[in-house]
Amino acid sequence: MKRTLLFLVVAAASMLSTQVNVYAHHSFAATYFEDQTVTIKGKLVQFLYRNPHSFVHVEAPDDKGETQVWAVEWGAGGQLSRDGVTRESLKPGDIVEIKGNPGRNPDDHRIRMQSITRPADGWNWKGVVQ
Amino acid sequence: MGSLCRTQFRSKKMSFLLAIAALASVCAFGLPAYGQGVVGEFIPDVGFDLSGNWNPLLHEDFLERIPGPELVNYSGLPITEGSRLWGESWNSSRLTMPEHQCQVHVAPYIYRGPLQLRFWDEKDPQSQKIIAIKNYISTYEQTRTIWMDGRPHPPAWAAHTWMGFSTGKWEGNILTVYTTHIKQGWVRRNGLPESDQATLVEHFIRHGEHMTHVSIVTDPVYLAEPLVKSEDYVINSNAGGNWLYPCEEVEEVEGRPRGAVPNYLPGQNPFITEYANMYHLPLVAALGGPETMYPEFEKVLKNPPPVPSDPFQKDEVVPMPTKNEAQNPAPTDGEIHILPVQGNIYMLVGAGGNITAQVGDMGVLIVDTGLAQSAEKVIAAIRKLAPDKPLQYIINTHVHPDHTGGNEKLRAAGVTITGANVTGDISDASKGAAIIAHQAVLDRMSMASGNQPPAPTASWPTDTFLGDRKTLWFNDESVDITHEKAAHTDGDSIVYFRRSDVIATGDIFVTTGYPFIDIARGGSIQGELDALNNLLDLAISRHDEEGGTYIIPGHGRLCDRWELIEYRDMVTIIRDRIRASIKKGLTLDQVKASRPTMDYDARYGADKGFGTTDQFVEAVYKSLGGK
Repeated sequence: MKRTLLFLVVAAASMLSTQVNVYAHHSFAATYFEDQTVTIKGKLVQFLYRNPHSFVHVEAPDDKGETQVWAVEWGAGGQLSRDGVTRESLKPGDIVEIKGNPGRNPDDHRIRMQSITRPADGWNWKGVVQ
Repeated sequence: MGSLCRTQFRSKKMSFLLAIAALASVCAFGLPAYGQGVVGEFIPDVGFDLSGNWNPLLHEDFLERIPGPELVNYSGLPITEGSRLWGESWNSSRLTMPEHQCQVHVAPYIYRGPLQLRFWDEKDPQSQKIIAIKNYISTYEQTRTIWMDGRPHPPAWAAHTWMGFSTGKWEGNILTVYTTHIKQGWVRRNGLPESDQATLVEHFIRHGEHMTHVSIVTDPVYLAEPLVKSEDYVINSNAGGNWLYPCEEVEEVEGRPRGAVPNYLPGQNPFITEYANMYHLPLVAALGGPETMYPEFEKVLKNPPPVPSDPFQKDEVVPMPTKNEAQNPAPTDGEIHILPVQGNIYMLVGAGGNITAQVGDMGVLIVDTGLAQSAEKVIAAIRKLAPDKPLQYIINTHVHPDHTGGNEKLRAAGVTITGANVTGDISDASKGAAIIAHQAVLDRMSMASGNQPPAPTASWPTDTFLGDRKTLWFNDESVDITHEKAAHTDGDSIVYFRRSDVIATGDIFVTTGYPFIDIARGGSIQGELDALNNLLDLAISRHDEEGGTYIIPGHGRLCDRWELIEYRDMVTIIRDRIRASIKKGLTLDQVKASRPTMDYDARYGADKGFGTTDQFVEAVYKSLGGK
């Protein structure tokens, strides 16, 4: 119900906007557990600012304490640009804390970004990846 | 269809208003022969004008179109059992593979996105007759050309594209478009496939500043009935917005083994019931099928039939199709047809196996020679391509007679000119074209095999190589011949024309069936997969898995990298299933009975002739060590 409400709000916003969003090449519902959330904290390895979606790769421990490289899916370049995120916003080595929906295949170590924070200077982003 | 009926009603009203407007326009400005009509006005000789920028109107379909459909939500789609099984085996992790990240949504599906459209006419500058209507689609930066000049569709052996080949005509105020030659893509992007056999009929219906797009998809492989959809658009007088969609493949998931294709083995998809449970639907409704499209299905919902916990075992509920519904793209007129590919390269079809011809100032090089009985016609076709140039080189991709049968006559029709960087033996240099092949081809052609006598001496390769690679330079381009040790046979060669950017694969890759793995002649499933992955490493797409490197398969139509990707995926998935069955201790008969190819049989299966489904399964089973 909560999920449906969220989608309807996003839908309404989308319809009112003259800006057509870049949409997912895949289905989010098919790719992530949208009703679950995980948090990771670790070192940023790579920031790919691109379409159809940007990615950050972060070295962080999994729930067993083993270090993994997590692929965190973020907004398209256009969306992030509108949100004030640029290629220079993040750099390798940054320690970041990320919250998001876990991927359906645990071996992939994927997350759909909901928020990212860099504790060192308080820089952060929060939103709905489109 | 509710919205369609509504728009047709509006259309009559709108036509009446437009007629009055047109009359007023004539009175005020004279006859509308100068194209001064109101945008959207009906002009009898030209039809409506769709020109302009359009934005989509999202309705109750928003959830499917933007965030995307749930897994195993197939309700209301007329899919076949094979399609459903394809979807159940599909793991969304497959989209993390670099080669799948920029998969464009095919013409029958792309309009479901929040895309922006732009239409414009292309007219003959002299006559002002319309040649084509162009349609740019912002998502994936696709441009469709809808030919309005009555030209025919390409032959069945021509390449497919994401947008296909479209022809159109005005029917009153409706632009009706017919599209063929579409790549394999989605019926729904939660794992439901649309095959490369699909065709599309569309109606673009304009009502002033609104447009309705109705599409009817027919797919003999994965749809049991035509799929009818509609979307609405509104004119966007503000041409701003994002019209670009650059897509760049990256390594999303680190450390995945080369050639691994994420998929669920039969019965192991953990999400089969998730959608049905979330919305309190009987599973039979979520699994879709033509019956779920109709009002009568409500009766079924009141008393739903039991569905086995493992939908892969549902053969008793709905019989699986066994018939191959795909069209064989080979010509049937007995003639050799020439298809220009790109650069120096042409594809000759109709001689059994496909023949690749490289033509240039130095002469002609061909890859394979087809069946013996087609040799004269192949020679005639080559002379048509290059009337005054000598046939200098023949390369055999492997030993089979549908690829080497014409060696003797083709060689005799050619000549080896000493002085190029590769020639025949000195003693026979002037006797005919050089025949290049891996040594294993000569070994097999020169010895008896069962009841088969050796091939005639004059058809044997004259210039063999023992290692992994042989190169030559001909017609201003390098030709790279790579040996695949144990794929279709033990003597397979891939021929890569670097400047033209075309690869001839021999029978490692065909579009007409499952790979024929000739175990008796040294073939193996792992070698086949290695070869397919090697081919993928060579090929680079121009834009979003389309164009760039073109691939001439041993049999079937011209392809690019995308077809190779889907084919490699299929062979890998079937290998995974059979390997899992062997691990469980299943016998060959038990594996055949489990039908590990069932979701692909309507496209690639065969129960008779050369290379049956059973032979393929048996070859995979045996080459994986099954007893």
